[in-house]
Amino acid sequence: MANGMGELTVENVNHSYGTGKIKVPVLFDINIHIAKGEFVALCGSSGSGKSTLLNLLAGLTKPEEGKIFVNSEEISRFNENELCLFRRKCMGFIFQSYNLLPGLTALENVELPLIFAGESKKKRRIRAAEILEKMGLEGRLDHRPNELSGGQQQRVSIARALVNNPSIVLADEPTGNLDSKTEQEILDLMRQMNRESNTTFIIVTHEQEVAEQSDRVIYLQDGRVVQRRTKPA
Amino acid sequence: MKFIDSFRIVWRNLWRMKLRTALTSVGVMIGTAAIVAMIALSLGLKANAVKSLESWGNLTELDVEPAFYIPEEDRVIPDDERKKLNMAAVQELKAVKGVAAVMPIKRIRGESKLKVGRREGYIELVGVDVRESAAYRKDEIEKGTYLTGAPQEVVVSYYVPREMRDVEKEKREARMRNANKSGGGGGEVYFSRRGGGGGGEEGPAPFDMVGKPATITLTREYRIDDELKLEKKDVRVRVVGQLQKSENFRYGSAVYAPLSLVKEMNDWLNRSRGEEFGDTSSRRSRDKNQDEFVFDEITVKVESREMVESVVSDLKKLGYEVWSPARELEQINKFFFVIQMILGGIAAISLLVASIGIVNTMIMSILERTKEIGIMKVIGATVYNIRWLFLMESGFIGLIGGMTGLGLAWGAVELVNYFGKAGGLMDSLGFGGGGEEMTTLAVIPTWLALFAIGFAFIIGLLAGIFPAIRASRLSALQAIRSE
Ligand SMILES: Nc1ncnc2c1ncn2[C@@H]1O[C@H](COP(=O)(O)OP(=O)(O)OP(=O)(O)O)[C@@H](O)[C@H]1O
Ligand SMILES: [Mg+2]
Repeated sequence: MANGMGELTVENVNHSYGTGKIKVPVLFDINIHIAKGEFVALCGSSGSGKSTLLNLLAGLTKPEEGKIFVNSEEISRFNENELCLFRRKCMGFIFQSYNLLPGLTALENVELPLIFAGESKKKRRIRAAEILEKMGLEGRLDHRPNELSGGQQQRVSIARALVNNPSIVLADEPTGNLDSKTEQEILDLMRQMNRESNTTFIIVTHEQEVAEQSDRVIYLQDGRVVQRRTKPA
Repeated sequence: MKFIDSFRIVWRNLWRMKLRTALTSVGVMIGTAAIVAMIALSLGLKANAVKSLESWGNLTELDVEPAFYIPEEDRVIPDDERKKLNMAAVQELKAVKGVAAVMPIKRIRGESKLKVGRREGYIELVGVDVRESAAYRKDEIEKGTYLTGAPQEVVVSYYVPREMRDVEKEKREARMRNANKSGGGGGEVYFSRRGGGGGGEEGPAPFDMVGKPATITLTREYRIDDELKLEKKDVRVRVVGQLQKSENFRYGSAVYAPLSLVKEMNDWLNRSRGEEFGDTSSRRSRDKNQDEFVFDEITVKVESREMVESVVSDLKKLGYEVWSPARELEQINKFFFVIQMILGGIAAISLLVASIGIVNTMIMSILERTKEIGIMKVIGATVYNIRWLFLMESGFIGLIGGMTGLGLAWGAVELVNYFGKAGGLMDSLGFGGGGEEMTTLAVIPTWLALFAIGFAFIIGLLAGIFPAIRASRLSALQAIRSE
């Protein structure tokens, strides 16, 4: 299966948790293809396996069966360290609970991926400040997470996800902790970034508004993809 | 990841848990301080002991004699079994491992006097093997050169030019003094001469005799009809060099000459009256028995002080008696080996405990930072980045402990030295005797300081290996989930 940058393919993936007798099957026969620059919502009821699928795409979990291709790489065959390097180069993450490092300022949090990538101090400062400004946080660079609102923290986390120009951004309920006004702002930001740099976005969500504003929605039910619906024009 | 960045992250983490970092490093601090203080003390004591030995003579020079008694067997070695200090012995000694040079010495039998210009003095004429002794005696030359192997050359010790007197002048002065004395005020003249005052020439002041021709006057006595007669013989030589001042007082007014020259002189002294110096016929007969030629002394120069003990024991096995202050070194080394073992044991145990403390602290902080580690892994830290960060962190705890421990040891050493000096501890320990030179009881040489810090750092790193691997193996997913 050949993929270009920003493309993503899931082939015949089955996954279950636990080992031995008490095996809990979670995902069944998943086949998905997502093209470069798509903004995809992953929906479904609680416990349907959305987070599990997203973690498989991120390489945080290995699929029990099947193959996952991101860009042109079969990440389901990577070892731990290769996955780390792959995430550093090609992937960005946004979490429901932001997951910023509490000891670091907004700027330092955004710098962190660049530090691991070995970027020079000057360059990464400029880059981190630039992207935080895009997120509308120009006055908050030196604030720590506990000095920021939820919406602001999520903006920092989006900035952190985008700072190393990933080809794919994965987000697990990025607006789950936010009110609907802030949710819309965050969503707009993500869409803007998606358009500007043609970055592929895959977003797990419960919210109808988010699903409606995406290019495509993938529905999961009891671990199966039940319906693929493109957004009506 | 850049080194400087990892350094910053590690420093920040350590600073965040100041108290825990400090408490953990206390263990390493105590261990390091113990090691450093102990080594410093034993180094200092040993240095003092060696120094006091050195005032007895050069420690790497051994005087070799044939052994005549075997203490282990309680047996006196009979004459014919006893070693002889001949050429064969020289060859045998040269073959011993660690021996740098073997210098046979032949002394002159009888009185000899050296005369340079108007000065003269009695000397101890020592014949040396030029080639063997040149190698290291060269370094001891203060003026001029060492013996080159040319005949009729001599080298004088530091003290020779200082002990030779201008006999004629002294006689003249004595006459003048006597003349003055009758005129009164003689005491003053005497004192001014002693103090070298008056701007005139001093008494036995040193003078440069290097490069000057000299005469050695030998005297032999013989009897004719029970009447003691003296016969003198002048040998012309040239002073080519002068040795440095030496700690070794054994040859105060020694003049070193090639063996062959001393041999000839001895031949003349031994021959009866009328035979000439350097008589070829009798010399030939002696040369035939070259192997039977027996030296007065053989001095063995050892390559380094560390080799001395092994050389001494080898020489004893060969059947020689060795005299050297270095023999004391054996005892001293045994003593300090025991001390070092005990102290090393204490320090090793305290460092072991300290490193377990580090492991514990690191595991605790990994537990606390599980989520942080997971986040870092998701946003681009590799397994090696994580491992490196934690390894550095525990290494730094070790390093902090090492540096503070070194400081502590330094303070302790200063204290011990202060009280040691005041209380005369050196003397009570039996290493005194040298007087003012023995002041410091303990020393921390640079290598010890560096070693201590490096060692503490390595202890920290080793203690960090297991926690670091554990941290890097944390599943990013599990880590993120843990709240
Ligand atoms: N680590 C795990 N071990 C065992 N079972 C798990 C594990 N994680 C998830 N599951 C199970 O897998 C199923 C899918 O969970 P998942 O978290 O993917 O659901 P989800 O769609 O994200 O739900 P939600 O919308 O509530 O977040 C659930 O039944 C859950 O109990
Ligand atoms: Mg979920």
